[in-house]
Amino acid sequence: MKNPKFDEVIVERGSESSPIYRNLRQTLAHLPFTIVDNLAPDRRPISGGDRFGAAKRTLYLARHKGDFLKKCPGSEGQVCCNYFVINFASNCPMDCSYCYLQEYLADNSALKVFSNVGDLIAETERTLARHRGVFFRIGTGEITDSLALEPYTGMVRELIPYFAGQPNVLLELKTKSDCVETLLDLDPKGRVVVGWSMNPQRVIDLDEHDTASLGERLNAARLCQEAGYRLGFHFDPMIEYPGWESDYESMLEQIFATIDWRKLSWLSLGVLRQTPGLKRTMRERYPRSSLLTGEQVLCPDGKLRYFQPLRVEMYRRMVRWIRRAAPTVKIYLCMESREVWKQVFGFAPSCEKELGNQMAPEIRQLIHA
Amino acid sequence: MAESAMRDYANSKGFHRQTLDRWLGWQPADQNALEEIAVGLKVSENHLREMMDWLEDIALRDDSNISAILKRPALCSIRTDPRLGRADKLRRIKEQLRRWRFPRLAALEESIRVKVQTLKLPAEIHLSVPPGLEGGRVHVTLSAGSQVEFEKLTHRLSDAASSGIIAEIFESLSGGTRENEPNPK
Repeated sequence: MKNPKFDEVIVERGSESSPIYRNLRQTLAHLPFTIVDNLAPDRRPISGGDRFGAAKRTLYLARHKGDFLKKCPGSEGQVCCNYFVINFASNCPMDCSYCYLQEYLADNSALKVFSNVGDLIAETERTLARHRGVFFRIGTGEITDSLALEPYTGMVRELIPYFAGQPNVLLELKTKSDCVETLLDLDPKGRVVVGWSMNPQRVIDLDEHDTASLGERLNAARLCQEAGYRLGFHFDPMIEYPGWESDYESMLEQIFATIDWRKLSWLSLGVLRQTPGLKRTMRERYPRSSLLTGEQVLCPDGKLRYFQPLRVEMYRRMVRWIRRAAPTVKIYLCMESREVWKQVFGFAPSCEKELGNQMAPEIRQLIHA
Repeated sequence: MAESAMRDYANSKGFHRQTLDRWLGWQPADQNALEEIAVGLKVSENHLREMMDWLEDIALRDDSNISAILKRPALCSIRTDPRLGRADKLRRIKEQLRRWRFPRLAALEESIRVKVQTLKLPAEIHLSVPPGLEGGRVHVTLSAGSQVEFEKLTHRLSDAASSGIIAEIFESLSGGTRENEPNPK
């Protein structure tokens, strides 16, 4: 992937004692560091008016004052997979044209890393310890990429030893990067899934700016598998275009030629979706993107998706191609309705717990043994 | 058409600033082509915005320009049809634009409409699919004035259900035939 082009690092006073600060000072030693008392929103004039894009050039380090651990909000009325999220950073150095953060973080787009790792671990510990009989799947890629900043922050390297020691959790690191080097000498003890968002190289070239190539992602996945990590792949967002079938089919062939599918924890499928507001932002930031021209309709949850028969057909094809190589791997749909589940698989999970419980059953069995 | 005329029209209709700015951001030929329709048919802001969305997307996809799209014969014939009133012209223009913007969806909706017609159901039974085909469900409305009529209509519906056409409609709603095995585990 392309290295982020930071101009400066701004540190909230009090964060200097954090291991993340120490790591940043080492890895970004060539940049100016400024210590400030308060992080004020950056309202400096932006050439070209792209404030969201410009925000990616300044890295902030600050304490996170709210809760770290939250239930994934999912999407209203859609089947949920009972996922939890930890936000250790906000925004992302990469710049996918469909990224929902363009709308979600429009008024708070600073690229921030949180310095109080100790608080994050303490808060998680309280929850995991209080509910030892509950199996948690926790992801860190909701409002940032889990690994894109890892070469600079070392955040995940701080977290893995803690999560590896917990009996009732799987930590998922979702990424479009290939930044896995700092993970490879750690022992995840079966408690860490590294999940890649995957798309054919054509989609990466056109709409996943500054991310790792398909080959780089696959190579990183192979290294993680060899180092003892569980793997996940998220074919999300799937993009429909003339010839998408052969591109996605050959991408799957590439994946299964590189990865041992029996060690995959799960695969997820989801089509391109955006709110009308995000689409307006995409028109401004990427007016030539062909993503704007897909046959998407407004769904009851307020998101635009390819019309249902079209996306059901896409899902079915993907499932067929996956099953050909990986007959029993767990596949789920992300943010889809029960109707779509039924049309694709012939059934829908009865509740969110049912779907969540189907993930990593061998770990769940250990909890209840 | 001068920019001032567009501003006047937008002001008279109470358009939001963003809508006007977006329109003014178009190439002059595109501005004018839409302005002719907007003023001629007294298009409201919501309709105009939807048309702008579709026109921009069609132009991008087809590597065309908006004025060329608005000059296509199918639209010209609607605009010059003396039998149509203002509201009908606008409705048909929007329907045509929607067909161009969503060609496969529109074709599928049309094929389902034809299938429903083939059933030759009485007017008391109304069979429809949701807008955009989202949800994958067929809606049936049945109205009867007596038990005898109710029985008669339910028999007609039952005959229709076993005709095979209903199965085809559901197949269309679910993306064609299911080819993969059903279980994701």
